[in-house]
Amino acid sequence: MISQELKKVILNELNLDDFDLQDETIAPEVPGWDSLNHINIILAVENKFSVKFKSYEALRLKNVGDLQKLLDSKLGK
Amino acid sequence: MDDSKTLWQRWSRNAERNPGKEAIVHWVAGEEPIRWTYNNLIETAKKFSIRVKEAGIKPGEVCATVMHHNPFFYPLYLGISRAGALPAVLAYPNPRLHPDKFRQGLEGMAQRSGLDYILTERELDPVIRPLIEKPGSTIKSVFFPLEWDYKKDIDQKLDDEVEQIALSVKETDPILLQHSSGTTGLQKPVVLSNRAILNHAKNMGNALKLSGEDKIVSWLPLYHDFGLIACFHIPLAYGITLIQIDPFQWVLAPIILLEVISKEKATITCLPNFAYNVLAEKIDDEELKDISLTSLRVLLNGGEPIRHDSHQKFVEKFKQYGLNPLALSCIYGGAEVTLGLSVHEPGTLITELYLDRNELSHGTMKFADKDSVVRVCVSSGKLIGGCEGRIVDENRKDLPDGMVGEVAVKSVSMFDGYRNYPEKTAEVVENGWYFSGDYGFRYKDEFYIIGRKKDLIIVAGKNIYPEDIEDTINQVEGVIPGRVIAFGEEDEQMGTEQIAVVAESKTESEKEKNDLRLAILKAGMSIDVNIHKVYLVPSRWLIKSSAGKPSRKANKERIISREDKQVWSR
Repeated sequence: MISQELKKVILNELNLDDFDLQDETIAPEVPGWDSLNHINIILAVENKFSVKFKSYEALRLKNVGDLQKLLDSKLGK
Repeated sequence: MDDSKTLWQRWSRNAERNPGKEAIVHWVAGEEPIRWTYNNLIETAKKFSIRVKEAGIKPGEVCATVMHHNPFFYPLYLGISRAGALPAVLAYPNPRLHPDKFRQGLEGMAQRSGLDYILTERELDPVIRPLIEKPGSTIKSVFFPLEWDYKKDIDQKLDDEVEQIALSVKETDPILLQHSSGTTGLQKPVVLSNRAILNHAKNMGNALKLSGEDKIVSWLPLYHDFGLIACFHIPLAYGITLIQIDPFQWVLAPIILLEVISKEKATITCLPNFAYNVLAEKIDDEELKDISLTSLRVLLNGGEPIRHDSHQKFVEKFKQYGLNPLALSCIYGGAEVTLGLSVHEPGTLITELYLDRNELSHGTMKFADKDSVVRVCVSSGKLIGGCEGRIVDENRKDLPDGMVGEVAVKSVSMFDGYRNYPEKTAEVVENGWYFSGDYGFRYKDEFYIIGRKKDLIIVAGKNIYPEDIEDTINQVEGVIPGRVIAFGEEDEQMGTEQIAVVAESKTESEKEKNDLRLAILKAGMSIDVNIHKVYLVPSRWLIKSSAGKPSRKANKERIISREDKQVWSR
């Protein structure tokens, strides 16, 4: 399940008020989430949660649920 | 370079001369790369060429390829050429692109260019099949060449027949078809001959001082001329090694390019301007500890306007990783002249002019003084061999150095026109000169490109027609039909343009406006276009051109330069 904090960071970066982000949501389904913005979203998540993702970890992300799991693993959850 | 008359002949000779030399290194992140030697590549291409013939594809017919990053794409492409057919590389549809829109784009392209076959992957069959079965379709069939048995032994009789076809191809015969971007049949299919590409490989090779030791690494998609010509045809024609990275992987993990340069000791790479910003600003230093860019002797910036800031950021970031600042170079050109018209000489400092922005907007270059608003113009270099260039006024009369006008070019690598589009060809070609639609000036033999006559938007090196966006947004409920414009808005942080839309609507409340904006963003997604900013304006706000349609130029200026309380934007 996508945490409210992660959702807020993503929506803020995409300049969206709301969007139903589920585990299985993929980037092309979300307005504004294109390849250029993808990097900005990853950086925004890193900054907000004070974590670092390796490029190859980011490459393996298939959906928002994967991003949440990766974030949780970095936060030791 | 030898006296080969066709690309197939050149590729074959390269394989005879250097059979064990690496031709293409197919790179997938986290996997062992697949390395095609010139010999393996040619031998596998022969097998594919026989399958092409067996499939009933005839010389001169157009084979559109729509495939992911795949190691067998390369011998297939060469095999199509050997069989005398014309490859046309098309983009694999992004998941956000609606299947109907993809089909519509393909249909428009097929009608315009006369695509005969689609060579693709099985998963696209349900999307493409209805198009073929449609009455009047020009597309004869769809094939899945990755399922062909390329390991099957060569049938000598068929091989001889295909070889005869290859031998019958003349240097003036077309070798490929390139399409500009766009989704509604606005694409202009550029036809290039064997001679045009061979000439270009020679002249670009001289301009870039290519040697047999060079290795070109690229993540650029092969449906783009910068990728297909600079990073595929030129190295293969020159007999050097190219390393191809998956474009989809690069955008998610840009560091891949730097890793490949370090590991493979690549000497040349080609990048559109935005990539300099991404590489300089979006990769953490911690990840760069094993990176060495000392092998790089040319970084070629092209495909979109070149920005001084982007180069500065890039050098600042990577000089500590062995980057030679003199490796930075630039190219200007277009698919109509195969690729390049001018190139900055590698190993020398790029000229940058600090000019008065106001004077420049009035058509004259004047060096900035203390009162000026400065615009830094980056040189795109001098003409390459085999090219002539002029700057002309609106009547196509020559302008002196330092005056802004349209760039016109004559080249030994000139295209053979837009396929099936003589009226469009006639618009841009006159007395052997191609009129590019780009604005710039010449100063001390160097070309400086500062704008476009056309309304084309270039986002991260990708050409997008505003008409495509406007047609789609016009269908959105709440937008007043016919009262929409799209334009490119400068994004300094990303080093590229972003798409902005201005739409007239009768929405009043903040909620209605936000809902309409979301609907507009989603409509953009359906044609795989990311709309960065939406401006909503009241009815009758947009300025009309003399043709009675909303003027992109006038309204863009109005939006950007004025504070208008009637404009809602987000």
